[in-house]
Amino acid sequence: MRVPLSWLREYVDIQLTPEQLAERLTLLGMEVKGVERWGAEWRNVVVGELLTVEPHPRADRLHLTTVSIGSGEPLQIVCGAHNIAPGQRVPVALPGAVLPGDRRIERTEKMGIASAGMLCSGDELRITSDGEGILILPADMPLGAALVDLLGDVVLDVDVKPNRGDALSMLGLAREVAAVTGAPVRWPEIDVIESGRPVGERLTVTVRDPDLCARFVGRWVSGVRIAPSPDQVQMRLLAAGMRPVSNVVDASNYVMLEMGKPIHTFDAAAIHDGRIVVRRAVAGERIETLDHVERHLADDTLLIADPRGPLAIAGIMGGAGSEIGDATTEVIVESAVFDPISIRRTGQRYALRSEASLRFEKGQELRLARIGADRTAQLVAAWAGGAVAPGRVDTNPEEPREARVAFRPSRVNRLLGTALSTAEQRDLLRLVGVATEEAVPASTTIVIAAGTRPLSVPAGTTETLLAVVPTWRRDILIEADIAEEVARVRGYELVPAMLPRTPTPAWRPDPLELRDAVRATLAGAGLTEVVTLALVSPRHGEVFGWSSADIAARGETAAEGSPITVTNPLSSEHAILRQGLVGSLADVVSANLRHGLQDMAIFEIGKGYGRSGEQAIEWWRAGLALTGAGDPAAWNRPARPVDLDDAKGLAEMLCRSLGLEPSWTALADEGVLHPGRAARLAGRDALGALCLAGRVGELHPRLLEAWELRTDRLVVAELSVAGLSGGALPGVRSTPPPRFQASERDLAIVVAREIPAAVVEAAIRSAGGELLRTVTLFDIYQGAPLSAGERSLAYRLVYSAGDRTPTEQEVEAAVAAVTASIAAVVGGRIRS
Amino acid sequence: MDLAGLTRDLEALRDEVVSAVAGTQEVSALAALEVDVLGKKGRLGVVLRGIGGLPTDDRPRVGAVANAVRVAVEEVFQARGVELRAKELEARFRAETVDVTTPGRPIRRGSLHPIVETAGRIAEIFSQFGFVVHEGPEVEDDLTNFQMLNIPPDHPARDLWDTLYVDIDGKLLRTHTSPGQIRVMHASTPPIRALLPGRCFRYEAIDASHASEFFQVEGLMIDEGTTLGDLRGLLDQFAQAMFGQGKRTRFRPGYYPFTEPSVAFDVECVVCGGSGCPACSRSGWMTILGAGMVHPVVLQYGGLDPERYQGFAFGMGVERIANLRHSVGDLRLYMENDLRFLEQFR
Repeated sequence: MRVPLSWLREYVDIQLTPEQLAERLTLLGMEVKGVERWGAEWRNVVVGELLTVEPHPRADRLHLTTVSIGSGEPLQIVCGAHNIAPGQRVPVALPGAVLPGDRRIERTEKMGIASAGMLCSGDELRITSDGEGILILPADMPLGAALVDLLGDVVLDVDVKPNRGDALSMLGLAREVAAVTGAPVRWPEIDVIESGRPVGERLTVTVRDPDLCARFVGRWVSGVRIAPSPDQVQMRLLAAGMRPVSNVVDASNYVMLEMGKPIHTFDAAAIHDGRIVVRRAVAGERIETLDHVERHLADDTLLIADPRGPLAIAGIMGGAGSEIGDATTEVIVESAVFDPISIRRTGQRYALRSEASLRFEKGQELRLARIGADRTAQLVAAWAGGAVAPGRVDTNPEEPREARVAFRPSRVNRLLGTALSTAEQRDLLRLVGVATEEAVPASTTIVIAAGTRPLSVPAGTTETLLAVVPTWRRDILIEADIAEEVARVRGYELVPAMLPRTPTPAWRPDPLELRDAVRATLAGAGLTEVVTLALVSPRHGEVFGWSSADIAARGETAAEGSPITVTNPLSSEHAILRQGLVGSLADVVSANLRHGLQDMAIFEIGKGYGRSGEQAIEWWRAGLALTGAGDPAAWNRPARPVDLDDAKGLAEMLCRSLGLEPSWTALADEGVLHPGRAARLAGRDALGALCLAGRVGELHPRLLEAWELRTDRLVVAELSVAGLSGGALPGVRSTPPPRFQASERDLAIVVAREIPAAVVEAAIRSAGGELLRTVTLFDIYQGAPLSAGERSLAYRLVYSAGDRTPTEQEVEAAVAAVTASIAAVVGGRIRS
Repeated sequence: MDLAGLTRDLEALRDEVVSAVAGTQEVSALAALEVDVLGKKGRLGVVLRGIGGLPTDDRPRVGAVANAVRVAVEEVFQARGVELRAKELEARFRAETVDVTTPGRPIRRGSLHPIVETAGRIAEIFSQFGFVVHEGPEVEDDLTNFQMLNIPPDHPARDLWDTLYVDIDGKLLRTHTSPGQIRVMHASTPPIRALLPGRCFRYEAIDASHASEFFQVEGLMIDEGTTLGDLRGLLDQFAQAMFGQGKRTRFRPGYYPFTEPSVAFDVECVVCGGSGCPACSRSGWMTILGAGMVHPVVLQYGGLDPERYQGFAFGMGVERIANLRHSVGDLRLYMENDLRFLEQFR
């Protein structure tokens, strides 16, 4: 809320500088977001007095004036306004002046006559909304004085929190200032002079839905003349961020800003028979609101209506039909209290949120309905003339007394970690208008929690006080609220900083342990970690969706279901939750290619999301993407383009870093990966459990094209890793290094080309015997003398034993077993 | 063969070898010559075999001469060997010399994302105080995201969180990590010290200081005697650990429906050091987190008796902390993943 200090000062004395006040209010919980110098834009604008006003000799619509600014020769200034006369004091922008909007004033010539500056309208200075006439200043303003010194102001931008609707006003903030300084708050004198026919004979108000309208106070002002408000009122409203409209409308806005009570004014002539009905809309009803939009009303919308139909959407916006206009003479003032939830829903339904609805949503005290009505009537009569009809129409004149909230000073200390005496706590509460009573009835209960889960406990024997909460503090309901008031008035700065001395919880494994280890491994291997948006375009789902069932590592969630759709997306580009990481990584590659980068190695650890029925499912995956050079070029070496083996090597390294043995199988064509370069990886632990599962492959060339990826190849992987969702790193079980010599044998095995190397290796291992330690593929050969359908896979087999060097005979026997098995299992032969 | 002849032969051999050694130019030739002269079947041996034909009396005298010749020849080989090896090494150095000022073989260096790293750093600091990490779902229930946090439907405070809803009844994308408070209370018993990092979502147009997806870290501590003073002390420690010792902090009232009393926590502006600059809106302070004593209604929804248990919660934006740590002025940089930005975080 924008708070002009000159206005605030009307209700409370302030000795502090604006900056000091801003800091004190911030420390009290009324955060000041900014301190604005209102009028700081008026450079070189001074008070002048019109000496002469003559017609311009060459232009009918212009005047030629002479103006005194106190010292020096009078200035000759050409002016186009018609409201000026000799003797008036006016704002003069001298040559070199800069007006709001960065408008620079220079010495000019208008129709052949020099003009040494400009006389300013209120609009040009942005202090009133009048752009027609020159702003006429009070006659006692000193000649030649800078306007900023006289009319300039300081405006605080105060962030009033949603629970403090009572502070959304000058008076509300004056109370907060008073809590800081101890100065008294001055309420405006509300003195309504009544005359004429009583309001009761002219106006009836029927509330059909008292659940939505707790009180309606109506007043009537007769014989008003619609005109602009006094300049000072306009200045205040503008400084506070509201546009002046007319004296009557401004009066209602002024009261809202002054005391936080939204008020609506109707042209009484538009209200049939003076009969107002507050009721819910009937299906099919329509209203044209003040913004000239025809609105179809839903049947839970609360209306102010007359017997002929809707007049206003209660608390939200008035109707065009009963708007105050230039011809209005009879004014009905509506000062009502509406149900906050209804106002909030209605505002959302029609996308209409106003300064008024904002205040209604936060709840209003019933008392203000009466006070606001009187104050508005007083100001309308003062600014627009007319007579206030005697009396009010009031649907609920009963005003509740202050609520009592019981609290234990000891509990306040226990929450705050302080040792404040009861007397100190009472003194602090008094500063925010909270009185305390010591005489506590025997049946008193302490309200620990209110709202949706209320809880009270008997006062017991602990010292208990009753806080008498002022009616405007609707936020103080429970003991903890009292504790906050005590702390905030005293200053949070005085809460002692301590370190916890309470028991420490039991040890618990860190769910980030394995995830961080995977991150460190991949970054260590040269990959850059990225973090992408989980919300993607539906195209992601269509293009990058894996069609076959996902295989998850042990303990991890499998990807399943259909995409989760956002019902109110910010844009169609971010309308679904992604199901995998590959599309997001492709986006990162694409963006960086456009930046001119060519060689990329990136990874992300993130979630996929899906829905299965009404269940939302989330799963963790590690994704990686490689493109460009696998080994970057150097001055003495050409670049080596990245290929599938790079990604496979990374995935294998990741397996081994987690103590897993990787194995590969070919992956069926799913449309996402190159059908000839797509692999499924299974990483198993020593007991054979699937602890890492995923896909590694080259992105399908069609996708490269569809996603406009300007690169030859993009190699991707998406892996499910046991523990990625929150597991610990597996421990390492070590064995001592072999102390005896190992024996090596090389075997070249000729098999049909379509037999995968992994199958041959598995056959070797299964027949290898207990001395076989490692099997390493070191060469693949095809061509003469082999037949066209054959290839030769050369393996190095290492044999060793823990307690001796294997004998020649043992090794020969083991190799013979492998040879036999190869022939039997994969139809292979040994090439000698 | 007589004594004189043998002696002459030995000396002739010596002289010949000395001059031959001096003439060798390579270590390998010298080695071959050495074998030829001093080897088992070498020429010196052949000459010495003549000693057997001498009278016994003469043998020691020839022996002495022969020994002197052997020592002299060995010395010559030794010296020439040292010379030649040094020369060959020198030649090798000349041949192998490279321009050492060229760049080395490039090795790709990876990097870790500043948001994940900063969240990790936050967790690390609080782990020193016994806080352990918990995680919750990102597709949350309205119930845990709002209602159990004392924000009923149509509560005006809902304006603080512009929410993205999904096509599953009662579900939304969590707007903060605070629903984790409820989940932790349900999953454990006091004493509780939990840290909840994670991704959050808001219906928020994206600009330099707003993101529709961002990361938060929530903290929760509950037992029978945790106070607002403990919160202040802990946050002070955090500020020192994260931003440097001696940083001033400011503890002031804030507002959240799920805490009472509520707190806003500022640190001295890391740009201007508190004197006021555009980065801190001239206030000298930067708000880094919100906090407060857990509201009794929230404790109840968590299954705890608010008359017995009390504690605090705090929540901070990871991007905000990362901005201050790494002098980043635009939130969008984190999710744009321009590798030229990310690769700085080595």
